[in-house]
Amino acid sequence: MAKQAIRVENLIKRFGEGDSLVSVIEGADFLVNKGELVALIAPSGAGKTTLLMMIGCVAEPTSGKIWLGDELVYDNEWLTKEQRKIRREKIGFIFQAHYLIPFLNVIENVTLVSQTNGVSEKESNAFAMELLEYFDIADKAHNLSSELSGGQNQRVAIARALANKPQIILADEPTAALDTERSVSVVQMLKKIALDQDVAIIMVTHDEAMLPFCDHILKIENKKVVSHDVPKSSKLI
Amino acid sequence: MINLAQKDIKHTLGKFIITAMGVGMLLGIVLIMIGVYRGMIVDAKVLLDDLNVDLWVVQEDTLGPFAEASRIHEDLKNSVRVIDGVEKSVGLTFQNLQLQTSVKPVRVVAVGFNPFDKVNPINPKRLVEGNILTHDHYEIVISDNIGFKLGEEIPIGRNLYRVVGITHGTVSSGGEPLVYISLKDAQELQFSYSNNRIRSDRARGIKDSSSNMPMVNAVVATVRLGYTTDEVAHNIRSTLHKSVYTRAEQRDILTKNLIERASKQIGLFTAILVVVSTIIIALIIYTMTLEKMKEISIMKLIGIPNSMIMKMIVQETLLLGFLAFIFGNLFSHLIYSHFPKRVVLEIPDAWMLFLVIMIASILASLIAIKKVINADPAAAIGG
Repeated sequence: MAKQAIRVENLIKRFGEGDSLVSVIEGADFLVNKGELVALIAPSGAGKTTLLMMIGCVAEPTSGKIWLGDELVYDNEWLTKEQRKIRREKIGFIFQAHYLIPFLNVIENVTLVSQTNGVSEKESNAFAMELLEYFDIADKAHNLSSELSGGQNQRVAIARALANKPQIILADEPTAALDTERSVSVVQMLKKIALDQDVAIIMVTHDEAMLPFCDHILKIENKKVVSHDVPKSSKLI
Repeated sequence: MINLAQKDIKHTLGKFIITAMGVGMLLGIVLIMIGVYRGMIVDAKVLLDDLNVDLWVVQEDTLGPFAEASRIHEDLKNSVRVIDGVEKSVGLTFQNLQLQTSVKPVRVVAVGFNPFDKVNPINPKRLVEGNILTHDHYEIVISDNIGFKLGEEIPIGRNLYRVVGITHGTVSSGGEPLVYISLKDAQELQFSYSNNRIRSDRARGIKDSSSNMPMVNAVVATVRLGYTTDEVAHNIRSTLHKSVYTRAEQRDILTKNLIERASKQIGLFTAILVVVSTIIIALIIYTMTLEKMKEISIMKLIGIPNSMIMKMIVQETLLLGFLAFIFGNLFSHLIYSHFPKRVVLEIPDAWMLFLVIMIASILASLIAIKKVINADPAAAIGG
């Protein structure tokens, strides 16, 4: 139990009702352990982001169960009204674009969530500087995101996702806007973070080249989520 | 703790200040409108305060020369003077004249008084050049905003009047400049007929139309120590059967009866401008919020509570309102002296507007706050 980071049981997501009912996920069951980097793959429109948003306590499932760590957070209904608090304390998000707050500088972007969690400015700044040094962008701590390159901004976004010391990182196509070389660099970085920080990472990706870096693969097939081992050369997408 | 409003404003400082200046100009106009109203009140009281008399005796069943035509015989002042409690009484005339300056004709109100009487309507504090009247004829004391200089001669009626004194800030209740002439000249201008008119009247069988007893528009009186104005007013009413108004009643006639409509009009304009300002602030804040919706969705997605985002919007709105208020004050103080009529900017009015704008700003932020509450965090990543 100590290794469990995300557990999903018979998760269902449907939109609409009656004739306009659209089923997206019909019974997802999977487990992701701490320290694992897991790829989530499926064709466009298959429900990858929807699944990610349900795990991230953003979108409400139709039914099923979700555990984050040992805590059962969803059992056919949210078991807490404070889903935003769960996100703030347990989850880090990384997006396709960096989505940094443009009016905050790098260190403010990184420390925003931890300061909101009640961590002192001094403590959160110190940890943020450690992260920025880890990502080799400490010299940009007081720059605005508009003054950074795309790759630097993405590293700041990853640092932000780690700043609240999350148990889980949900990454929605974090390499989609990057070239292959930078994509590999980012995924290697995520793998290292997963191991170093003992964090579970689910990464949505369309890029087969990123799969060998993952521990296993979740694939949405016919509205079911199927777990696969990492293939050596087969085409999954 | 990071102050989001401060960071956001710093990021778009120029735009924020220009916006505040724009709203500030609107608030400046609101302050000017209130100042115009205050100016009307002050103008209405100039003559009353300068005369400093206790009672106004006017034609029976009229409200007096500021509101209605009032004609009474000049010698009524003698009858008033002997009434118990009256200290002194004099006759005054008030009439509109149009003076031709070198640039344009100017409409003025002429006050006629006997320069040798004990009641003088010219306040020495307002006399900035020259003297008060010293002769019975053809002298004039004139307000400085008309444009005549000391010693200049002005044609009025059939005669030339020499400017012997210049006053500042002397206006009628309607805002027209005041001029002062002798009672005899005023009576001649107001009540004497031309030769043609006299001949025409005689031809119609009207006898001696020009040689009526001298008339005035009002007799004003002061009250002896030990008497109240109300009891002396009652004595005059019961003895002489004229309408009598105390100074307070005359002030009410001027400020309430005569200015009421104007004040309602200005009040309505002011209210509309405040509502327009509120709508503009609301739209600006709403637009500023819409521009940040992506960031707001991201903040909600990563777990930033609504309260922190709403605090940012309310702080920005209040600061916008505050800056606009400051700019509005600066703007109104820069331009108020260029208005043709008196504009009186009072500090309590500014504070009242400040309060209204702060409340309006909070109301204005509600639409943007609603937008924040309804923002979908999933929108941050496209659903």
